Amino acid sequence: MKYLKYKILFVFVGMMLFSTSCDDNFAELNTNPTVAIGINPNFQFTFVQLRTSGGRYENWRAGLIYSSMMIQHLAATCGYWTGDKYTFNGGYASSLIDRAYNEQVKDVVDLINTLSTTDVGDATMLGMARIWKVVIFQRLTDLYGDIPYFEAGKGAIDGIDFPTYDSQESIYMDMLNELEQGVAQLGDGGFGGADLIYGGDVDKWRKFGNSMMLRLAMRLSEVDAATAQAWAAKAIAGGIMDSNDDDAFIEHTNGPEGINKNGIGEVLDKANGFGDDCPRLSDTFVDWMNSTGDPRLSIVAVPSANTGEIAGMPNGLDEALLAENPTGTSVDDFSRINPAIVTVSSPMMFMTAAEAQLLSAEAAMRGWHGGDASSHFSDGIALALGSWAHYDPALALDDAAISAYVDANPLDEANAMSQIGWQYWAATFLNEYEAFSNFRRTGFPELTPVDYPGNITNGQIPVRLANNPGEATLNPSWKSAADRQGLGTDFPSHMSVPVWWDK
Amino acid sequence: MLFSLTVFSQRTISGTIVDSGGDPMIGANVIEQGTSNGTITDLDGAFSLTVSEGAMLDISYTGYADQVIATENVTDFNIILEEGALLDEVVVTALGIERKKRALAYSVTELEGSSLVTAKEINIGNSLAGKVAGVNVSNPATGPGGSTRIVIRGNGNISGNNQPLVVVDGVPINTGNLGAAGMWGGQDWGDGLSSVNADDIETMTVLKGNTAGALYGYRADNGVIVITTKKGSKDGRIGVEFNSNYQVESIIDFYDFQRQYGHGNRGAKPGTEAEAFAQGLSSWGAPLDGSSVLQFDGQSRPYSDAGDNLSRFYGTGATFTNTLGINGGGEGYGFRFSVTDLDNKGIVPNSTVDRKTFTANVNANKGIFFGNISGSFVNDATSNRPRLSDSPGNANYTAWSLPPSININDLRGDADKLGANPDGTELQFNDNVFVTNPWWAAYQFEGNNTKNRLFGNITLGAELLPGLTLTGKAGLDRFNDRRRNLTPYGTAFSTLGGLTESNRELQEVNLEAILRYAGDINPNIGIDVLVGGNQQKNFDETLSVGGGNFNIPFLHTAKNLANQSTGYGFSQFQVNSVFAMAEISLFNSLYVTATGRQDWFSALTDPNGGPSENTVFYPSIGVAYDLVEGLGGSLPSIVDFAKVRASWAEVGGATGPYQLGLNYGIVGQGHLGQPLGSISNGTVPPIGLRPSTNKELELGFDVRLFKGKVNVDFALYNRETTDGILNAGISSTSGFGSKRVNVGKVTNKGVELLVDVEVLRNNNFTWRTSVNFAQNNNEVVSLLTEESDGEEIRLEESRTRNAYIHLVEGQPYSQVMGFAYVRDGSGGIMLDDDGLPLQGELQTFGTGVHPTSIGWQNSFSIGDVGISFLIDAKSGAKIYNATNAYGYFRGLHQATLEGREGGLGTVAAADVQDYYQRIAFGISEEFIQDANFVKLRELIVSYRLPNDLLQGVPFKDISLSFAGRNLALLASSTDNIDPESTYTTGNGQGLEMFGVPVTRSFGLNLSAKF
Repeated sequence: MKYLKYKILFVFVGMMLFSTSCDDNFAELNTNPTVAIGINPNFQFTFVQLRTSGGRYENWRAGLIYSSMMIQHLAATCGYWTGDKYTFNGGYASSLIDRAYNEQVKDVVDLINTLSTTDVGDATMLGMARIWKVVIFQRLTDLYGDIPYFEAGKGAIDGIDFPTYDSQESIYMDMLNELEQGVAQLGDGGFGGADLIYGGDVDKWRKFGNSMMLRLAMRLSEVDAATAQAWAAKAIAGGIMDSNDDDAFIEHTNGPEGINKNGIGEVLDKANGFGDDCPRLSDTFVDWMNSTGDPRLSIVAVPSANTGEIAGMPNGLDEALLAENPTGTSVDDFSRINPAIVTVSSPMMFMTAAEAQLLSAEAAMRGWHGGDASSHFSDGIALALGSWAHYDPALALDDAAISAYVDANPLDEANAMSQIGWQYWAATFLNEYEAFSNFRRTGFPELTPVDYPGNITNGQIPVRLANNPGEATLNPSWKSAADRQGLGTDFPSHMSVPVWWDK
Repeated sequence: MLFSLTVFSQRTISGTIVDSGGDPMIGANVIEQGTSNGTITDLDGAFSLTVSEGAMLDISYTGYADQVIATENVTDFNIILEEGALLDEVVVTALGIERKKRALAYSVTELEGSSLVTAKEINIGNSLAGKVAGVNVSNPATGPGGSTRIVIRGNGNISGNNQPLVVVDGVPINTGNLGAAGMWGGQDWGDGLSSVNADDIETMTVLKGNTAGALYGYRADNGVIVITTKKGSKDGRIGVEFNSNYQVESIIDFYDFQRQYGHGNRGAKPGTEAEAFAQGLSSWGAPLDGSSVLQFDGQSRPYSDAGDNLSRFYGTGATFTNTLGINGGGEGYGFRFSVTDLDNKGIVPNSTVDRKTFTANVNANKGIFFGNISGSFVNDATSNRPRLSDSPGNANYTAWSLPPSININDLRGDADKLGANPDGTELQFNDNVFVTNPWWAAYQFEGNNTKNRLFGNITLGAELLPGLTLTGKAGLDRFNDRRRNLTPYGTAFSTLGGLTESNRELQEVNLEAILRYAGDINPNIGIDVLVGGNQQKNFDETLSVGGGNFNIPFLHTAKNLANQSTGYGFSQFQVNSVFAMAEISLFNSLYVTATGRQDWFSALTDPNGGPSENTVFYPSIGVAYDLVEGLGGSLPSIVDFAKVRASWAEVGGATGPYQLGLNYGIVGQGHLGQPLGSISNGTVPPIGLRPSTNKELELGFDVRLFKGKVNVDFALYNRETTDGILNAGISSTSGFGSKRVNVGKVTNKGVELLVDVEVLRNNNFTWRTSVNFAQNNNEVVSLLTEESDGEEIRLEESRTRNAYIHLVEGQPYSQVMGFAYVRDGSGGIMLDDDGLPLQGELQTFGTGVHPTSIGWQNSFSIGDVGISFLIDAKSGAKIYNATNAYGYFRGLHQATLEGREGGLGTVAAADVQDYYQRIAFGISEEFIQDANFVKLRELIVSYRLPNDLLQGVPFKDISLSFAGRNLALLASSTDNIDPESTYTTGNGQGLEMFGVPVTRSFGLNLSAKF
C-alpha cells in the first residue's frame, strides 16, 4: 500500500513537470488552419474589381435611392426613396462611404503595397492596380468631398487608425499623377484573365487609364481651368477609348453567391430573388428621349402596366400628390425600367468610350485640344447607343438606327454644352454616381428641382451626399475637414454644400 | 390488503432549549429524526411534540452545533445548545475546495438550490437578479430561449467577456453567448448557462472578488459562480423526489401611443389603395372619425381605433417543468439520478423551448480511495427564436408599430398559412419590403436550433496519509449547436428566400491534479497547503451549408437552393497552468492565505515563432481575523461572530486564438472562373498582445449578532483592470472597423452590504428581512494611450444610426451618446429656415450600466404557510429608447399630437410630421432616458402539508407554492418600454430597440418526496 502511495505521488510530480514546460506546440496551435499568410495578387485584383462593382447595399441607397432620383433618371413615390424629394436618410446617404473603404480600398491598398514593396507580381500589375485605385477614390471624393485618401486603408500596413481627411484638391492632383504613372508602367505581364475588365489587355488598359485621366481633368474645368486643360490634353494625346470594345465593365452572374451578382440587379430583379418595385422612369428622361427620337427609349423602358404606353413619372410625388397628377394617378400608369437591363447578371459600367468621346467633345469646344468637337460628339452618341449590346445582344441597335439618330442630333455650337450634358447624362444611365457628378459640374442637363415638404435643401437638387456622423464623430480629423468645407454639425444641411470642384 | 395502516404507539414530550448562558432559544428546530414531524420553540424556549416511541430528536439552530437527543425513557427535556456550529461551516470555493467560511479573506455568497426552483426562470442566470449584492443581472428582451448577462462588481474589461466563470462540480463549463442581435437585427441564440438545471442544484456560490477566484488565474477576471449539484446520501435509504412547476406568462404592455389619428400622411386619410399601402406604417393621417377608409389591401374599414393589437398577436406563454429524482446509497457509496423535462411555449406565436436534462451523480469510497462521477446530458430544442432589433423578419418591430386604425388580424392572410397571400407569398401591408408582416415573421420564418450537450467530470483521489490527499480530475464539456435559419420563399425582401443550416461543435477538456495537505501542527497552528496543475484544451468548429433562391417554390431544403455556398470555421487553443495555495491559521483566529498561479496561453503565442508574452503569474494574499476567538471575552456578548478581512489579488484575461497576423482567405466560389482572394481580418491584427491584468484590493467584515438574528456582511473593493484586450472601433476609412489592442485602464470601486435580520419569531410566525445593496463606481481612466486625454472608443451603434455606446476617458463604462439639439443662449431649441430643429453635437448622456442596485427580500412564515417577496431596484443608468424614436417617426408617440391641428411655429399643421421625423433620426437627445426602476421581482406563497395529514399515503414533505415573477414595475422613468429592454448581452449596454415584450409570469410548484 505504501508503495502505491509513492507511485501516485511520482505520477503526479511527473505531470507537474510536464505542464510547466509545456508551451512547445503553442505556435502551431495558434496557427489558423483556414487562412493563408499571403495571397496570389491575381486573386486579390479580381476581388477588388468585383467589389468595386458594389453590393446591393450601396447600389440601392447611394446609387439608386439618392443619385438616380436626384438627377431624374428615375422617379419614385415611395417615402423611403428619399432622393426623389431631397428628404434625408443619413444611412442611405453615407452608404457608399460606409462600405467602400472596407470592401474596396482595404484590398487595393494592400495589393499596391504588396506589388510595390515585395518582389511579388510585376510593374504592369502595379500600373493596373494604381489605375483601379483611382476608379474607387474618384467616386468617393466626388460624392463626399474631402475624404481620407493618402492614409486610407492602411490600418494593417502602417497602423493608421484614423486617416486624415484630405482636401479634394490634393486628392485630385495625386489621382491624376497616379493615372499618369500607372499608364506609363503598363507593359509586359499583368493580371491576364484575372482582370475581369479587359482580360489583361494592356492596350485597352492604356486607353482606359487615359480616359479616366480625361474624366478627372474635366471635373476640374470650373475650379481650375488651366490644370484641367493641361491634363485633358495629356490624356487625349495618350489615346482615349473610342470603341465599344474599350468599354470598362464587369460581367456579373446569377450567383452562386451575392458577390457574383450585379448590385443594381439585386435591388430590381424580381425574377431572381428580389424586386423593389418603387422606381419608374422619370418623365424628365422619357420626355427628353421622346423629344430627340431616341431609340434607346425602348431599351431602357417597358410600356406601363395600365396604358401600354411608355410614359415617365414626375419626380417629387407621393401617393397623395400622385392622385392629383395630370399625367397619371397610379404608379402603374408609368414605365418601369426594362427588366432585361437590371438583372442580377447584367454588366456594371465603370467608364465607357461614349463618355470619353463626349468629354473630348467638351474639351474641344473649350479649345483645349485640336480635335473636332462635332465628330467626338457624334462618336460619343453612337458609342452610347452601341453600348446597350453589352447588356443583351438582343437589345443591340442596328447601325442604321444609330446613324439615323446621330445624324438627327448634330452638335449645335451655340448650344453645345447643354447638348453634351444631356447626352452624357443619358450615356451614364445606371452609372448614377458619375451622372450625378458630371451634372453638378456642368449644370447640364437643365433639370427642374422639385420642392416637396420636408426636403432638406430648400427645394434645390442636393450637391453632395452627407458622410456618416458616426464615422465623422469618431475621426479626430473630421472637424477641421468639416470647417474647411463649410460643413456644420447638422448633417442633413451638408447635402446643400458643394464640393471643391463644384463652382 | 389495499391499505396497511401501521399504528405505532405515540407519546407527547416537552422541554426547553437554552444557550450556554441559560437564555431561552426562541425558534430552535425540533424534528423527529427521519420524519418531517417537528416544531419550533416558543418565546420561553419551550416546545412540545408528539413522537413515536423510541424516536430520536434532531435539534438545530443557526450558528449553534446540532444535537441529537434520544427520547426513550426521558420525559423532561432541558437541552443546552452550544455555540459554534458556525466554526465548522464550510463553503465550496475555487477548484471545488471546501474551506471553512471563517477562514475566508473575501466575500462569498451562497444560494440554496431550492431558492432557484420555485419561481423558475428558463435561464437560471435570471434567477440571480436582485439576490446577491454586487451581482448585476440583465435579462435582455430576447425571448424565452435567450441568454442572460451577469456582471459581478462592474464591467472591467473594455471588450470581450465581462461575465463570470461558471464551474459545475469543480469543472468550468462554457457559458458563452452563442450569438446575439446587433444593429442590423439577428437573434439571441442562447448561452451556455441555460443548460444548467435548477432542480439539480444543491448550492450556488458566488465568488465575487479576485482573491476568491485567484486559483482560476486568467479565468477569474470577472468572478466565479460555483455550482454544486445534489448528491446521494450514504445512509442506506432510497429517496424519491418529485417537482412539478407550471408557469404562465403574458406580456406587460408598456406602450402608451396615441389613438386619435389613423393611417395616412400629412393629416389626410389615404384616398387610394396605393396610398393606403404606401402609408401602411404611417400614423400621420386624419383624426379618427369612424368613416369608411381604404386600407392596404383595398378593403374599406372604419377609420377608428382598431383596439389592442398586442394582445391579439402575443399569446399567453406557458412553461411546464417536471423533475423526478432518485437518490440513495449505502456504505461507501451514494448516487442520485434525475430527469427534468421543460416545455415552454413563448409569448411570440409559434416559438417554443423544449429541454430535457438527465443528470447522474455517483460517489464511492473504499479504503484510502474516493471517487466521483457526475454529469448531465441536455437536449435543448428551441423553435423560432424571435428576430430582434432591425425590422426584417422581426415580428416585434411590426406588431406595435401599426397605426391605431389598422387591426393586426387583418394582416393574418391565409388561415392555413398565416401572413400569406393566396399564392403563398408574404401578404405585404406597406411599401417597405423590409418591414415584415408579423404573422409571416412568426409563422413562416424559422430560427431553430437543437443543442445536445454533455458535461461532467470524473474525480479520483486518495488520502495518502492523514490530511494528505491527491486528487485527479478530468472534466468535459462538449456540445453541438445545430441550427436552421430560414427566410422563406415568397418573403417580400427576399422573394426567392434563403436558408442556412449549420452545425457547430464546441469542446472544452480540463485535466487537473491537486495534492493537498491540511492539518494542525500544534493546537495553535494549522496549515492547509496545496499544489496542482491544470491543462485546458478547447476547440470550436462550424460547418455550414446554405445560400439563396429556392428553385422549387416553398421547398425549403438546402439542395433546392439555386445559389449554394458552404462555410467552415475552426479554432483551437490551450492553456497550461500550475498553481499553489498555502493557508496558515494561528490560534484559531488569524488566517493567512496566499495563492499563486502561472498560466501559459497558446492564443498569445506568435504563430510564426516570434517572441511573445504568453505567460503570466497571478498571485493573491488574504488575511482574516476572527475577533470572537481572538479577543475572547472582551467583546460584548451579543456578538456571536465577527470577522474582519483583507485581501489583494491579481488575475487577468486572455484572448481568442488567431488574433496575431494579417491573413488572407478565398472569398465565395470565385467569379467567372477566377478565384477571389482578400484580407480575411476585419480587425487590424496587433503587433504583439499581452494578457490583461486585473488587480483588486478587498476589505470587509462579517458580523452575527443576537444569536444569529442579525447578520451583516460588508465589503469594500477597488479593482483596476489594465491592458484590456480590445477591438477598438477605429475609422472605417482605415479599411478596418476595429483594431485589436492592449489598452486602457478601468477602475471599479464599490461597496456591498448585506443586512439580514430576523425581525420577529414566535411559535406561529416568523419574519425575516434582508437587504442587499451595492454601489459600483466605474471609471474608464485611459484608453488607447496612457494619458487621459479625452479619447473615446465606440462599442455599439443603434440601427437608427444616431445613438452610440462609447467608452469615454474619465467617464463610467458604456456611455450612451447621442446628438443634442442646437440651443440658443437661453436654452431654446434652434430651428432651421423651415422651422425644423437643427442637429447639434454628439455628446454623452450618461452610462448605460446601473451603478446602484438594491434587492430587498422579505420572508414570512405563518404556520405551514410561507410568503416571500423580492423587490429589486437599480438606478443611475440611461437607455436610448429607439421605440420612441420610431414612435416619433411614425406618428405614434403621444408627443407627436402637438401641432397636428394648429401647426408648430412656422411649420404648417399638415407638415408637423417633418418636425417630428427630423427629431426621430436626427436628435437622439429626445430619446435618451433614465433607466432607473423599482420592480416587484418575485412573490412566492408556499404551503407545506402537515405530515399528519399524510399518514398512510406514500408521500411526505408535500409542498405547494405559488410564484409570480416580474409582477410590477413600481417605478420607472421610461415611457413605452421597460427600462430593462436592451436587445443584447454584449458590453454595449444602453440601447433599446424592438425586443420581445417583457413578460409577467405566474406559476404553481408542487414538490413531494416518497
